[in-house]
Amino acid sequence: MTEEVKAATEVVMGTQFWVATTIFILVYGLIITEKIHKTILAIVGATTMIVLRIVTQEDAFNSMELGIDWNVIFLLVSMMIIINIMRPTGVFEYIAIKSAKVAKGRPFAIMAIFSVVTAVVSAFLDNVTTVLLIAPVTILICQALELDVVPFLITEAIASNIGGTATLIGDPPNIMIASKAQLDFMAFVYHLTPVIIVVLLAYVITIKLIFGKQLKVKEELRQRVMAMNENEAIKDPVLLKKSLIVLAITVAGFIMHGTLHYEPATIALFGAGLLLLVSGTKEPHHILAEAEWATLFFFMGLFMIIGGVVKVGLIKWMSIKVLEITQGSLFGTTSVILWFSAFASAFIDNIPYVATMNPLVIDMAKQLWPNISGLNLLHHPDLMPIWWSLALGACLGGNGTMIGASANVVVCGMAEKMGKPISFKKFMYYGMPLMIESVIICHVYIWLRYYVLKI
Amino acid sequence: MKAKDLMITVQNFLKPDDTLRDAVTLLKVAKRGEEKVGVNGLPVLDEAGKLVGMLSMRDILKAVHPTYMDLMDLGEFTWDGMLEEAAKKLADKKVYALMTKDVTTTKEDSPLMDAVDHMIKSNVKRLPVIDNTGRVVGMLYERDVFFAIVRAMLNENAGGEK
Repeated sequence: MTEEVKAATEVVMGTQFWVATTIFILVYGLIITEKIHKTILAIVGATTMIVLRIVTQEDAFNSMELGIDWNVIFLLVSMMIIINIMRPTGVFEYIAIKSAKVAKGRPFAIMAIFSVVTAVVSAFLDNVTTVLLIAPVTILICQALELDVVPFLITEAIASNIGGTATLIGDPPNIMIASKAQLDFMAFVYHLTPVIIVVLLAYVITIKLIFGKQLKVKEELRQRVMAMNENEAIKDPVLLKKSLIVLAITVAGFIMHGTLHYEPATIALFGAGLLLLVSGTKEPHHILAEAEWATLFFFMGLFMIIGGVVKVGLIKWMSIKVLEITQGSLFGTTSVILWFSAFASAFIDNIPYVATMNPLVIDMAKQLWPNISGLNLLHHPDLMPIWWSLALGACLGGNGTMIGASANVVVCGMAEKMGKPISFKKFMYYGMPLMIESVIICHVYIWLRYYVLKI
Repeated sequence: MKAKDLMITVQNFLKPDDTLRDAVTLLKVAKRGEEKVGVNGLPVLDEAGKLVGMLSMRDILKAVHPTYMDLMDLGEFTWDGMLEEAAKKLADKKVYALMTKDVTTTKEDSPLMDAVDHMIKSNVKRLPVIDNTGRVVGMLYERDVFFAIVRAMLNENAGGEK
């Protein structure tokens, strides 16, 4: 305890501390109320930090510790560019129609295959993009089969959040954790993909139990689906071939980036540039303009705001409190972070949450192992399960409620436009138990792998 | 020439609470000038006669077209009977739910170029013409503006119908 008290006294709670903390709380509070768009709040909050001289512009723009994590920004924007080029080829329509036909128009088979496809695609693309690509086809198929679309949309949103957790590029929290903790693509494949496969299997079995019996379809309606010709979906086979080759090169790049000592953003931007080149487009401004700038600026703003509260010591103070609660037990800390992250992410955006937790975990590590620094500290064997718990909790937690993840918000918006609104309660009725199931599986996995088997 | 010289006095209009069934029936038989030929769009007026929207054929086409189909190219995968089914579901919807609420109008004393400017920029084929009190006094149709252009081009006298 004496060590912690000593560490605590290092945080000077002066004017700067309170100014930065106030900006932080105001911005996060207003984000939760959703009265003002979160991107605007992030930009105003970030620049206020600079104007009030909490951080300098130099810190905000150029410091890895206190400013914008360009690795995250460029990885996100590059993936957006790749998708924007690939979308018009019709490949996503093809995959979805093909899936429905593989399922032979049988409703639960469609639900299960769509969930697995959504999860796999989400592992490589961001979740919102994935559901935006799968959901319209799902609605069409449900209409053709005269089925209630709501269970299909909910199961797809949840599957996309599960799948996104599997890789470094699948979900923004992972991208942020990877950059901050300097973990490579293969580390995520090695540590998160196995447990996500188990979670996904358990998920498919669970939705079979929930929805399996109530899904029935008339024989003649199945013919509507079987009559669809997925090959008609492909609009530009030449561009599709080029895209798939570049995508394969990019994924190979991700797999090897750790060994080759490239940052993931380098690989992604190289892939985006290569695809722009081979696509033969003469109007890159359309493709670039369609990147989600609001999301990108939200990230940039958040990084600067977090930089401010890191600089004044708020995050350090919070990390001391976390260690006090868990009383230095590492498995205790891991468990608390897993479950706290899950429930926090169910109700608040997991992006600002992880943006806050990343420096907090590092500060915690500094207090636990004051004599170690750099990669040895970030990759301390006892710290690794904490990073994985943060990733698993923050990504899977989004499934708890309809506001927990952007993919959920998107499908609920679509259902509402269809005249079939999904209430907060209805989503939670399915989402919360499924989220708890997945986190229990992760908890067992972490305990078994890192504290019992130690592999 | 001004908008009021070419406009056609409003004889038929819709109310926001009309059902689409009522609306399409009226669209089918509405008068355009002296002829009972049906029209492609009608103004929607509230109790006080104030303009609250426009309902056009295109609004109805948009209403049967599912929103999720805007997001992806799914036309190839639709089936026979899908449109008719959507149309039947639409019959009891109210006009206010489907009408265009942000209506571009022109004033009765505005020059015709102003009307053309609105038609091009808002991509509409008919403009409600309003007086100084904001009341709708007529409708200006693209076709009638076109004939005004024809007359000017061919140096015909104003009003000289063929």
